[in-house]
Amino acid sequence: MDASEGLAIVNRMVETVALSDDADPGSSTTLKETSPTDMLRLKQQMSNQCFEMEVQLNAGKNKRSCSASEAERDLPDFMSELEEAKVVHFNSTLALHRMQMWHALEENMNQSDPEEESLKFVSDRCMFLCSRIKKLQDEASKLQEEITETQKNRLEIKRQTHEKMKEMEGLMSKMEHPDSEKYKAALEKGQANLEKYKKMAIMTQNVLQSILTACKVNWLDDPKLQEIAMTLEEFSIPD
Amino acid sequence: MALLKPFSKLPGLNTAIILLVENEEKLQLRLGDALLKETSVVVNVRLAKSLPLPVNERRPRIDLVVFIINLTSEPSFQSAEASLKYLDPGYFLGKVCFMVTKARNASVPTRRLDAVRMLAASLHCPLLFAEDQTPEGVFGAADRLLTILKGAAGLVPFTTPLYLSHLTRCTLPPDVDQPSFD
Repeated sequence: MDASEGLAIVNRMVETVALSDDADPGSSTTLKETSPTDMLRLKQQMSNQCFEMEVQLNAGKNKRSCSASEAERDLPDFMSELEEAKVVHFNSTLALHRMQMWHALEENMNQSDPEEESLKFVSDRCMFLCSRIKKLQDEASKLQEEITETQKNRLEIKRQTHEKMKEMEGLMSKMEHPDSEKYKAALEKGQANLEKYKKMAIMTQNVLQSILTACKVNWLDDPKLQEIAMTLEEFSIPD
Repeated sequence: MALLKPFSKLPGLNTAIILLVENEEKLQLRLGDALLKETSVVVNVRLAKSLPLPVNERRPRIDLVVFIINLTSEPSFQSAEASLKYLDPGYFLGKVCFMVTKARNASVPTRRLDAVRMLAASLHCPLLFAEDQTPEGVFGAADRLLTILKGAAGLVPFTTPLYLSHLTRCTLPPDVDQPSFD
């Protein structure tokens, strides 16, 4: 809609409203103190409404010119087109909002003169703290990574140790295994023999001791005999 | 018994006209009072129990039709469903919305809520939930309705109801378990 046309419509509408003043008192009271900005706003609204009606009219025209099957076929294309348009719209709205916000922030920074110094100081400090936080976070994450690495290494070493221990155990048991039966039997036999000979030795000792006491020989005089008598106590009698 | 048409009359200057349709007439009066508190735009509230409206040549163009449905009563839903037939298809391009009340009530069957949701999704209309017990809830609901109303009446620059309804609706088929509207 072009501007002069819109303005003409506004003027016409204002006239008609002025004419029907008594019929519609609600809107006339608001119109009495309209400022230029209000007029512009009204113009904008009117052009918006005209656009809406225009769209409605054109939509009615287009409907008649295509068949149902064609419409069916074209529907997905239109849908995707619509989606794309939506996405573009949302993205641009987002960008616009961000720009507006930043602009407002900048304006605010420039405008407030007395507080400018403090604001700048605060923002500088904020910046410094933020960068420091960032640095510290980086450091912390690096350290954390190192710790994890070390822990991983430790775990790996532990696992290897465990493996080696198991291997060693396996080896030990394997080496022991073939001879152990024979060795055990021999050991038992030897021990039995040892017990037997020990008993015999004890008996002999006892006999010899008894003989020595019975003969009443003074074995202290003879060094040879003394030596024998001293060794008689070597194997004690088991209980 | 005529079909209500959105573009049969010229719009008023800086005026938005809303039609509240509620079978039980419990909330519409309070909601209308809350809507009239708006000062930047002349809001004209019209109340109806159901559609169709009696023939009246002097009735202005209606910009937004709101169906208020009380979830605890079945007649409320049925009346709204029956009233939809008396609206011109042009209204469903962003000039109709549903407002549900008492959705938090424990006695609401979930099937009815699903039915309302399906209805709104199939007609591509926004579905609002309102709290009607407290004045704050009514004011909140009126606030949300005003936002939609201003768009529907073409009072918001660079926005038309058709555009808004296209932007807010999901192109994916409506899913009952997931509300398609915010």
